[in-house]
Amino acid sequence: MPALLDVIGLTKHFPSPSGAVRAVDGVDLQIHRAHTYGLVGESGCGKSTLIRTIQRLLEPTSGQIIYKGQDIAAYKRAQLRTLRKEMAMVFQDPHMSLNPRMTVFDILARPLQIHGIARGKDALTLRIVHLLQKLGMQSEHLVRFPHELSGGQKQRIGVARALAVEPDIIFLDEPTSALDVSVQTKILKLLENIRKEWELTYFYISHDINLVRVVAEHMGVMYLGKIVEVGRTEDILRDPHHPYTVGLLQAVPEPDPDKPLGELQLGGEVPSPVNPPPGCNFHPRCPHAWDVCSQMEPELRMLSAEWSVACHRYGDDARAAPSR
Amino acid sequence: MGVTDELLKVDGLVVSFATEEGEVEALDGVDLAIREGSFHGLIGETGCGKSVTGRSIIRLLDNNAMIKAGKILYKGEDLLKLSERQMERRIRGNEIAMIFQDPSSSLDPVFNIRSQMAEVVRMYHNARRESYDAIIAEALRSVRLPDVESLMHKYPHQLSGGMKQRVMIAMMLACNPHLLIADEPTTALDVSIQAQFIKVLRELKEELQMTVVYITHDLAVISELCDHVSVMYAGRIVETSAMRELFKNPVHPYAHKLLNSVLGVQTNLDDLAEIPGTVPRLINPPKGCRFHPRCDQATEICGRERPPFVALDDDHHVACHTR
Ligand SMILES: Nc1ncnc2c1ncn2[C@@H]1O[C@H](COP(=O)(O)OP(=O)(O)OP(=O)(O)O)[C@@H](O)[C@H]1O
Ligand SMILES: Nc1ncnc2c1ncn2[C@@H]1O[C@H](COP(=O)(O)OP(=O)(O)OP(=O)(O)O)[C@@H](O)[C@H]1O
Ligand code: SF4
Ligand SMILES: [Mg+2]
Ligand SMILES: [Mg+2]
Repeated sequence: MPALLDVIGLTKHFPSPSGAVRAVDGVDLQIHRAHTYGLVGESGCGKSTLIRTIQRLLEPTSGQIIYKGQDIAAYKRAQLRTLRKEMAMVFQDPHMSLNPRMTVFDILARPLQIHGIARGKDALTLRIVHLLQKLGMQSEHLVRFPHELSGGQKQRIGVARALAVEPDIIFLDEPTSALDVSVQTKILKLLENIRKEWELTYFYISHDINLVRVVAEHMGVMYLGKIVEVGRTEDILRDPHHPYTVGLLQAVPEPDPDKPLGELQLGGEVPSPVNPPPGCNFHPRCPHAWDVCSQMEPELRMLSAEWSVACHRYGDDARAAPSR
Repeated sequence: MGVTDELLKVDGLVVSFATEEGEVEALDGVDLAIREGSFHGLIGETGCGKSVTGRSIIRLLDNNAMIKAGKILYKGEDLLKLSERQMERRIRGNEIAMIFQDPSSSLDPVFNIRSQMAEVVRMYHNARRESYDAIIAEALRSVRLPDVESLMHKYPHQLSGGMKQRVMIAMMLACNPHLLIADEPTTALDVSIQAQFIKVLRELKEELQMTVVYITHDLAVISELCDHVSVMYAGRIVETSAMRELFKNPVHPYAHKLLNSVLGVQTNLDDLAEIPGTVPRLINPPKGCRFHPRCDQATEICGRERPPFVALDDDHHVACHTR
């Protein structure tokens, strides 16, 4: 079965006085229908820019975005409206993403009206109450303003707004990082139940690898605008291959006093996306780098049917590489 | 807990906020004992009163706050009896410093990093002006900020969220306080920078014998850093214990649930414990044990009487009728 979403060589550069910011720099990825995909990577590596570009909220610099067999990167403005109904987004900060002057009813009614899903007060109310109930909230919340809701309730409204248009795929940008653990658990479980029931596809972005572990079957690791490793979450977390993935996983503390953090491998600062290092852009921080790493860019290569890594240690030149 | 090695003792602290809807009973008899040289974690759901506890200790509460009862004994002296002037001159900075939850609100956008830090150094160091830069650079390096000479001349908006947070930390460390209250210092940091920060704090604990109260809802960070932990629920401390003991054997039903709701312990979404219900409102909070409406072990007495904070042993205190 073809992928729901097949991103090929997607690039998004921002102009800046000191040169182009190469926020997304040749990304390939595939997402299958009714699956959950998790994307991790350091702050500033381009995760949010990537999903905004995929949704055509940002203009791609180059590349293809094949969605249901059509290249939506080539869509004209008039065609984008249909996308807004099929792709929805949940933002990190529920405080920022909900208009403080609109009631819950108005926030949820707007997408329904824009896309002609429901018209008239009665039809709208019916649908909205149904949505709220799905998310464990009551009709009493309809007249509330965002500041009259707790953080967890606000994020439920953010989720309800995304679900309102009955999309095929939902992008969730750090949906629970502003919430504490028990609220986070509730929202994640809710999202998972709805996904199963409606056969939705989710694309999560998170700093929290433990979150990706529990929600996503497949994951990608991003570094400085590029995907450096993709595969089944279980495989990557058990046996990470790319040196950046290895370092990232080592930096995750475990809530277990008997498993303290070991010596850190990931030193240094993230280099600037205006002037990324040549060759493999991770080489200045990589404990395994050798000559070829600073000269040639490694391609994303398949290790097995569902696992790819962009690193010279797993390429044709690997013979020259220091042993793993 | 021996009386002699207690650096800070919070005793029956009651703090309310006046609001239009009524009085918010944010802290309702908080008891805390912090040992000299310890790393003491403070955990609990959002809104339970962690930040208010920290701000009470350093006496920087919002204007609508009322301290209604209790003592805050620091080195035996009750801080609640000191004037604002005495707090500012004798306590804040050199004795007790606090890293606030939101770093952007505590850095001044109009001044560059160097001048903001120079102010701290001027107040808390007995140093000549010529040596300020060296002290500032040293503090910035201690939190692993790169390229500190050029960084000093930058303004807050030129730094990423994670860098601002580290500057805040460096500033507090430049005060060289005896007691540091760190309120969620790593929430804006990604894991690799957080890991560096954990390392820096561990080194400081060794080198400077600093005492730290560490506020967070990240239990993984607690397990890395803290020797003691207090669990808060709706304005009260419900359990205090040695860190390892709490992770192995949480006694209070709320602490038990909290520890089992953590990603990382459980690898499957279905296995994650949910704490039913929501954090109670603190205007007219539940009577008796404030957790009783959400507790699966509650008995009749729980809704009626406040459970006393009792010692299971020297190092382990719990407030629950069923224990
Ligand atoms: N509108 C813009 N103009 C110029 N540069 C931008 C713009 N938006 C993002 N960038 C830059 O692009 C890079 C990637 O940013 P992005 O927000 O995608 O990162 P991220 O991976 O989502 O980070 P975080 O985890 O901190 O949210 C950063 O260097 C950022 O400064
Ligand atoms: N100035 C204020 N006026 C009214 N209520 C307040 C004020 N400051 C705090 N509160 C209330 O006091 C309670 C405790 O707040 P506090 O900020 O200490 O929570 P917290 O445990 O730090 O939560 P979080 O994990 O979200 O930071 C909350 O119910 C909060 O709404
Ligand atoms: S290609 Fe080289 S520098 Fe890049 S990750 Fe692999 S070993 Fe390290
Ligand atoms: Mg982002
Ligand atoms: Mg707080």
